Amino acid sequence: MADILGVVFRRFASGNVTSDVMFPSHVEGNTLLLLGDVNISRSVLFLAAVTAATDLGLKVLFFTQTPFQSLPVSLRASIPGLKLESLKNVKFVYVKSLEDLREDIASLHELASEAASPSSLIIVDSLDHYLHGSRVGPLQDDLSPVAHVAALLHDTAAFLTQILQSRADGQGLCRVMVSFQSEREGSRDSEALAPELLLSVLDRYLQVRCTLEEVKRDGEVGQNEWQVYLSVVCPSQVQQWHMVLQTGGALEFSPVIGGEQQILDQPDESKQENERCGDG
Amino acid sequence: MDLQRTYSETNQIPDLLIALRFVFGQCALQALDLVDQRSVTCLSSPSGRKAFQVLGGSGRLLYTCFTSCHYCPCPAFSFSVLRRNESLMCKHLLAACLSQAMGLCQQEQVSDQKMTHILSGQTGAST
Repeated sequence: MADILGVVFRRFASGNVTSDVMFPSHVEGNTLLLLGDVNISRSVLFLAAVTAATDLGLKVLFFTQTPFQSLPVSLRASIPGLKLESLKNVKFVYVKSLEDLREDIASLHELASEAASPSSLIIVDSLDHYLHGSRVGPLQDDLSPVAHVAALLHDTAAFLTQILQSRADGQGLCRVMVSFQSEREGSRDSEALAPELLLSVLDRYLQVRCTLEEVKRDGEVGQNEWQVYLSVVCPSQVQQWHMVLQTGGALEFSPVIGGEQQILDQPDESKQENERCGDG
Repeated sequence: MDLQRTYSETNQIPDLLIALRFVFGQCALQALDLVDQRSVTCLSSPSGRKAFQVLGGSGRLLYTCFTSCHYCPCPAFSFSVLRRNESLMCKHLLAACLSQAMGLCQQEQVSDQKMTHILSGQTGAST
């Protein structure tokens, strides 16, 4: 999944991005967790879907509770010359409940063997909304629903990857991208699961994390700027980008050179992390 | 991988049993009981999708586990593994791994539609 984000960041970079900016694309995991405000996360997901469909020619499945009333990102500003017909590779699936989401994901194998090309990117928008809506019964502190849907996504992607590789001479990868807002308005009630606990469960199945942190200037938000942290759990790597929402609605990315140094200056720690993580 | 190789070469796993006991504790013995009882079934569907179903110790509940990652719907997995991070696996997951390595899984074919229901947790008492 980090490879698609790499394409997105370079495609919409302000200025040139040199090849020295490495992405953890060699990580075995092809699953990504996107953390941040619901609106900006949705825009990044949409941009990733469109980029995967147009630039990479991938088939994309986009699961969301809320139909798009308007384009979350000004596509014409971001992608001049965009041909809308290329968006036919993006299939939007509007599911309301966690149960429906699980059933739809679990059913992807039914068509994979017949489809000319199975989906190469599965996107789930605002997984926290699905989980929040499913909390019923006495076992509201049960982590099983979270783990089930995340593991199902992981397993489905692994199966579709096998299909893709069997058809493409060993090439092909099915990726997963899930957005999650860990802190929600009014969600901190006595029965809510701690966000850290939910994230620790998701980290088991979604190996790459992309965190969108809004920039505050003079203590104020609303600057339309975010710091983007791309991190891999094992081995530990962090890369930092800067994202700006332009007046016209286009998103622009630029690498933060200081963030790269954190990786380059820690070769020994990286080796220790490799030893600790073992074979995975 | 070690267990699978050793078992295929010698048909025995005496030394690895000590390692299993050390790493997984009491869970290892419970898992081996499940293996002895042939409690693990590998489900396959025409699409090629696979999953494990493990019959619990009581013989009443079926737990569906995935083949590519660690997940089990049992309370022990939710508490000891996910919440407390005290264990690597529950006995059902370990039994599935051991059964697969030793070729002791039951085999069962199901339709693609039934596989969907099983994976989504709609079938049986698995969730």
